Amino acid sequence: MKEQAAGRVALLEDIWKSYGAVPVLKGVSLALEAGEVHALLGGNGAGKSSLMKIMSGLIPANSGRIEINGRTLTHASPALAQDLGLYLVPQEAHILPNQTVLENICLGLKPSPRSLRPRVEALVAELAVTVDLDAQAASLEIAERQIVEILRGLVRDARVLILDEPTSALTPFETSALFERVRKLQGQGVGIFFISHKLREIREICSTISVLRDGVIVLSGPLDEHTDAEIVEAMSRVQLVADGGTAKAGRKVAQIGQPRLTVRGLSGEGFRDIDLDVRAGEILGLAGVVGAGRTEFAETLFGLRRQSAGSVHLEGKELKNRQPRSCIDHGLVYLPEDRQQNGLFLEAPLYWNVSSYLIHRLPFFLRSGTERRIFDGFRDSMGIKCTGAGQAARGLSGGNQQKVLMAKCLSAGPKVLILDEPTRGVDVAARNDIYALIRTLAGEGVAIVLISSDFDEIEQLADRVQVMAFGRHGGELSDAISVDAIARLAFGASEPNHA
Amino acid sequence: MLDLFARNRVVTLVLILALAYAAIGAAAPGYLSGATLSTVLSSSLVLMLISLGTMVVILTRNIDVSSGSVLGLSAAVLGLLLNAGFSLPVAIVFSLFTGALAGAFNGLMVAYLGIPSIVATLGTLGLYRGIMLVMTGGRWIEDLPQDLKALSANLGSGFSALSIVVVFLIVTLWLFLRKTRFGRFFYAVGDNKAAAHHLGVPVRRVQFAAFVAAGSCAALAGVVFAAQIGFIPNQAGNGIELKAIAVNVLGGVSLLGGTGSVAGVVAAVTFITSIDSALVFLKIPAYWNDFIAGALLLSVLLLDGRIRQLIERRIRARRYAIHDRASAHDTKSSTTRIAEARR
Repeated sequence: MKEQAAGRVALLEDIWKSYGAVPVLKGVSLALEAGEVHALLGGNGAGKSSLMKIMSGLIPANSGRIEINGRTLTHASPALAQDLGLYLVPQEAHILPNQTVLENICLGLKPSPRSLRPRVEALVAELAVTVDLDAQAASLEIAERQIVEILRGLVRDARVLILDEPTSALTPFETSALFERVRKLQGQGVGIFFISHKLREIREICSTISVLRDGVIVLSGPLDEHTDAEIVEAMSRVQLVADGGTAKAGRKVAQIGQPRLTVRGLSGEGFRDIDLDVRAGEILGLAGVVGAGRTEFAETLFGLRRQSAGSVHLEGKELKNRQPRSCIDHGLVYLPEDRQQNGLFLEAPLYWNVSSYLIHRLPFFLRSGTERRIFDGFRDSMGIKCTGAGQAARGLSGGNQQKVLMAKCLSAGPKVLILDEPTRGVDVAARNDIYALIRTLAGEGVAIVLISSDFDEIEQLADRVQVMAFGRHGGELSDAISVDAIARLAFGASEPNHA
Repeated sequence: MLDLFARNRVVTLVLILALAYAAIGAAAPGYLSGATLSTVLSSSLVLMLISLGTMVVILTRNIDVSSGSVLGLSAAVLGLLLNAGFSLPVAIVFSLFTGALAGAFNGLMVAYLGIPSIVATLGTLGLYRGIMLVMTGGRWIEDLPQDLKALSANLGSGFSALSIVVVFLIVTLWLFLRKTRFGRFFYAVGDNKAAAHHLGVPVRRVQFAAFVAAGSCAALAGVVFAAQIGFIPNQAGNGIELKAIAVNVLGGVSLLGGTGSVAGVVAAVTFITSIDSALVFLKIPAYWNDFIAGALLLSVLLLDGRIRQLIERRIRARRYAIHDRASAHDTKSSTTRIAEARR
């Protein structure tokens, strides 16, 4: 007992927090020992992110006590929390686009960036990542931004790290490098709160688990003592189908119909010579690691980038000089990867968002009643949780934002739907809803191209898998689709990544 | 070569400035002289101070359109105190304090009360001008003492006491923004406020400080104005805030915050002021001034924009070219990378 007290790096006692009259945290207590990797789970709206923000000093709690390294966080201040030795690596990296990567990492620290450079370089080497420290941060890809955040935490010598879905933007290769690093930190006595929706990752790296639901801890203890089913049940209170494989088996291959989209020899920025066929009712998984050129490929298909060679046929008709609008009119619809930046109108009401692909087909004088009815239809069928059609999209949780985006794509009546990372940053329950929706759509005869870095997801959903690696065609799988087989092709390697 | 232009608006500006000087020098021999330099320097002081203050605010992704009124108000305080018999140093200190206070009020509204800066400073633009008019009863302040005017007199080397102060201020501001931790915060807040807050940067204090700095600069500009003109009209500083914003844009300070340099602003102020003096020298009627200044401003910005686009396209092409080259020999390297990761 004494030893435990000495090794305690973070302690939360009876934290209460409410926004207005709505309580989000109702007396949460947590302890983190040195060298412990503590998984923190919870559905959207469970209070997870509020708890993290309180711990890192971004917002004040109504009551309760937070102790970091034996010292109390006396007031809400990120600077104080970092001084005490706690760093929050947020899910969406905070980047200063006009500064260099090095300046981004070192901002807020006392020593000058130049004098910290050797340390940062050492950390970069240890993490086995490639980052150009002198590049402008604006040029970084999502995964690279995440790495910058992790480096920020490491260079600050934090004793408590909060990793908020750190792997959601990382490739399997980067994920395993990160886990190596986490284990090393664990050995050095750093305590880590690990937030993730991927049970498989949690099993791999965490020793303890706590599940939050409606602002209360409903399950807590050593990870070994709880089964996946117990954890999922604790999170959602509803029994969920943990494995989606059965539903796929139920869908008959015979439902797959005529060719819808035929791409031949398409080349563009970041990819070269890609062929692709999707039939009506088929889910084609387009797998690959971050940087394989899948998003560039999809954006070129949708007319957002210029192609340098190749042809695209939709139902036998060639689409030349593609523009997003002509693609939508022909029934080729794209759901972008970065929902905050490219997908949603964050300040606009939800029904504006949903009708935005339809806007050219609506009459000159818009009738909000019609638009609201369209939204309400999707809201009921997809289970979007919101206060009403007029709510601003910013106020929704990640999973619900993603559903709104899906509704927007569906309102255009797509024949071919390209989904780019449709479940990034989405909790388990909402993810299952989205999976079900994708299957239903395929059942209705929509041809679906599913781009995902989560190979589990591809394995669960896809009828056929095409892999891109380094901007080229990396291989195809039509039966025996497994995570290992996909990983093998994605890395262009002769051995699987995940053992 | 192109990259150099892309990274620095200053280089483009200085080059155009040099070309313009050469052309004018050829057209009107005698223009290129120490006397011209001295004229340009002294007539740029007011705009320089206002522009530098505005720049600090713009860096934090706010805007200050009240600086012209702060100039007028501070100058009025200076004039009234002097004419009431206070000594010059006391009057200047009070005048600067007035400017700092006016800036602090702007900063209070923006940083702590959350009022958008354009709205807040539009309000104080009217308010501060109104206070000035109430104080002076709508009359011009004349008969300012000689020792004030002496501050703007040429000390022999082409510099006046005030221009030495301004040069000193330029160097200090440059060092502060480039070399200090707190200076870096101004860029950080403008670049990404949420990120800065997350990393423990005192966002509000930085925004507040920027407005106080802008107010103080505007007050110093008021002192320079009074010393140079010798009297203080009701409309002192009217409209200079917009000119200062144009200078900032010309000097490469992004209105979206986070980028810009003292050197860029100094070059842009010199450029704008040189146009005025050159037109006089070329005997072009004064009513052409605004037209020519506006047209030049737009052409520099257009040129700069084109160069930037060109470079961005090249950087993109280069990035994907590297990508292609990497993919040629990646099969082997990725295998070893995986092997490393498994260790």
